[in-house]
Amino acid sequence: MQIRIAFGSIIMMFVLALPSNADGKGELQKYFSDTANKVKSTENASEKRKILSESFQSMSEALDKVQNSGMISKVDRIGINRFKATLQEKRDELAGSNGYERVSDKDLNAFSDYVVQDMEQAAEMVTISLVALLLIIILVVLIV
Amino acid sequence: MVFISIGYAALTVFLSSCSAGLPVQVESHKPGHVLATKYSIVCVIHGDGDYIFHDTSGNEYKADDKALAGAKRIAQQNPYAEVFIFHQKPRRNFLFFFPLQDGEFYYYRNGQLIANELYWRDQKQSQLDPEAVLYHRFRTENQLEMVSIFLYYGHEIPQFGGKGYDASYPDRAFTVYDFTIGLRDFTHHPKRFDLLVLSTCFGGTPYTIDAVGSFARTIIASPDNLHLSYFDLHLLERLDLSLQDGDVPAFAKRFAHQAFKQLTRNIQTAVSIAVYDADRVKEFLYSVRRVYNYTLTTLKGETQEFLATIEHCDCADLPEYVLPTMNKGVDVFYRPARFGRSKNKQNHSGWECLNVKPQEATFSDY
Repeated sequence: MQIRIAFGSIIMMFVLALPSNADGKGELQKYFSDTANKVKSTENASEKRKILSESFQSMSEALDKVQNSGMISKVDRIGINRFKATLQEKRDELAGSNGYERVSDKDLNAFSDYVVQDMEQAAEMVTISLVALLLIIILVVLIV
Repeated sequence: MVFISIGYAALTVFLSSCSAGLPVQVESHKPGHVLATKYSIVCVIHGDGDYIFHDTSGNEYKADDKALAGAKRIAQQNPYAEVFIFHQKPRRNFLFFFPLQDGEFYYYRNGQLIANELYWRDQKQSQLDPEAVLYHRFRTENQLEMVSIFLYYGHEIPQFGGKGYDASYPDRAFTVYDFTIGLRDFTHHPKRFDLLVLSTCFGGTPYTIDAVGSFARTIIASPDNLHLSYFDLHLLERLDLSLQDGDVPAFAKRFAHQAFKQLTRNIQTAVSIAVYDADRVKEFLYSVRRVYNYTLTTLKGETQEFLATIEHCDCADLPEYVLPTMNKGVDVFYRPARFGRSKNKQNHSGWECLNVKPQEATFSDY
């Protein structure tokens, strides 16, 4: 019980520390936008792939942790599942697996923009509650 | 005591400044220089949701603020137009307790700002009632002779349900039906809007176009997802030049083409913009109305969990919608996403459907 209270307090501190105009979706978008900026700031294609891959990996881990936390609703769980599936599609396309043609080196910058834009209009984000989104953000920050 | 008095005075001034209609600027045309008003533009910008997006340089924008700036530009650069702008805002409080009005209205005529007021929006079912009241308070008399344009900028308007459309007012509902009630209050029967621009995701569903078609002759909408950078508004600036011939359907195609060019320049996801001739698409809509409404009726009874799994698709992917009349009255500008599973999809019918799997709802059971 005390662990739960402590964990809840930490989360509350994080939530209160976020800027007053921040919303969960905006913070997630920023995460992918920052990744795209990092991708574009390097010339090396292998480095670009590594940045994208690690970004997807960290997000996936955060989503798993939130999903297993027992602190989210059934609707959030469905939204997160769809979000994970969307993310997996991006990973597959980057790597050229699961029937995808591998993203070519020259298209990596465009692909990083595609990830940002696709996430900005992803329908599954709408169904995920603010609390769940904030949890995801906090965990991504802790994982990275 | 002095501080309390000063604080009270400041609070009184602040609250009073937020509560009443405040004409900011008075028309400044000299007598004898009154310009004719030939165009009437109503622009509703929804801003209570997740409207943040990033450009390819990583700069962050608020879609509603950007749309508002574009609408103001239209208003200032059209000497022969009257422009009504309604900016629907999130809930905000002054000093945690005093709610501030959640709508801001701008009225321009002949390029001049005539009024700028804060107002309260509908608090439960949002049917644009307060907006229509403001519209009728300021509009000029000769509406039947004017070219009328209605612009809506926001997220996908739900086809049913609609609660939570406003992020900060979870109990307020807004649906396509509510939107059409609003449109009705802005029209001057028997005249319909000459052009309706729905700058939202999934605006091109058979149900939505069917519903708004009673209030507009030509409709521009995005059948698929639409990026929050929205449709480019530049072509609406200087309508006296771009719409000189008064041919609204031709103008609508130019507008859609321009918006398409702008979006495809910067966006890697799919871009789809369709122009619907409300009268010519009626035959197709009549043919599919029963099947589409059946899908909606089925979904209305479903749980939130189930609804979260529903996906959209091109109606052309569903055999019951593939009819000879499907393309009649629709002009589509489409480019697939540069990546993803649909990157090789070359065409879009201009109609977006809901992909409900057969085990969940079967029309043959109907």
